[in-house]
Amino acid sequence: MLISFLIWLQNLKPLVDLRSSAYVYPVVLALHLSAISLFGAMIVATDLRLLGWALRDGSSADVIRRMRWPKRIGFLLAATCGFLLFSSKAEEYFYNPFFRIKISLFMLVAVHALVFRKSVYRDPDLDLTSEPPLRARLAASLSLVLWLSILCAGRYIGYVEGRSGMHFK
Amino acid sequence: MWIENPLSTSPTAFPILECIHIAGFGLSIGMTALVDFRLLGFGLQKQTAAEIARAFDGWMLAGLIVAVFSGLLLFSTDPDMYYLNWSFLIKMACLLLAIAFNYTIHRRAVAARISPAAARLVACISLALWILVIFGGIFIAVVRPGLT
Repeated sequence: MLISFLIWLQNLKPLVDLRSSAYVYPVVLALHLSAISLFGAMIVATDLRLLGWALRDGSSADVIRRMRWPKRIGFLLAATCGFLLFSSKAEEYFYNPFFRIKISLFMLVAVHALVFRKSVYRDPDLDLTSEPPLRARLAASLSLVLWLSILCAGRYIGYVEGRSGMHFK
Repeated sequence: MWIENPLSTSPTAFPILECIHIAGFGLSIGMTALVDFRLLGFGLQKQTAAEIARAFDGWMLAGLIVAVFSGLLLFSTDPDMYYLNWSFLIKMACLLLAIAFNYTIHRRAVAARISPAAARLVACISLALWILVIFGGIFIAVVRPGLT
């Protein structure tokens, strides 16, 4: 069921064109990496503030609030390019162990966001006075570990040999 | 005597170096982009561009150093291929320009020693140069080998 959907997806005309294009495919890849740089720096900036290592003259709550929309836009850019790269070779990606690890890590990111939502990311009074609380530093450390793992898993996707017998048109 | 580069004989060295390379340039380019977007009027508006730059300058430089050194190691695995690759040469030209720009004109813009309109132009040039470096890197694997 899922596999037949992925085969249908990867054989849509624009995605066939993307897969077989010598130049458009790498352009999408480069845009993916550019968006990752931007998005990654916003993650690191927020996490550094939560750890109390940078921007200490403002509160964590302010940095989180101001980074919220730029982060969403950056993620949307990276995810759009990533989806294009995936969907043009959807069947192959489905069998790729590092792609599966990457998707699992994204699920952990969602869990992380839900777990720390109330206590950190939506706390308007976070560390207005003293050192960042332990829960903020924990959230930041886990976020850094998760995103760095996602980056590595993403790079390793390209090192798995493609299978034979893929249903590419 | 011919000594084999240990990085070329290990199958795991290259991908690990690539991950380190991506993390390094992501950090340095992204941190610069945060400053650039502040010059354009987006992002961390409570701080000035100079304050953001001061907060993240060390991290930006650390990312750059990590990216350059991991890049040199990646280069060492196949130097002939790289220096005969026009995408690599364009990447190096853009990288040198971007670094020079960052520590001269860009620094003046961040310190608000030029008009806000000029600072916005500087931010756009800075973003364009760094993104060209990324494109140059990706296209190393795409363009035909040799300077033909």
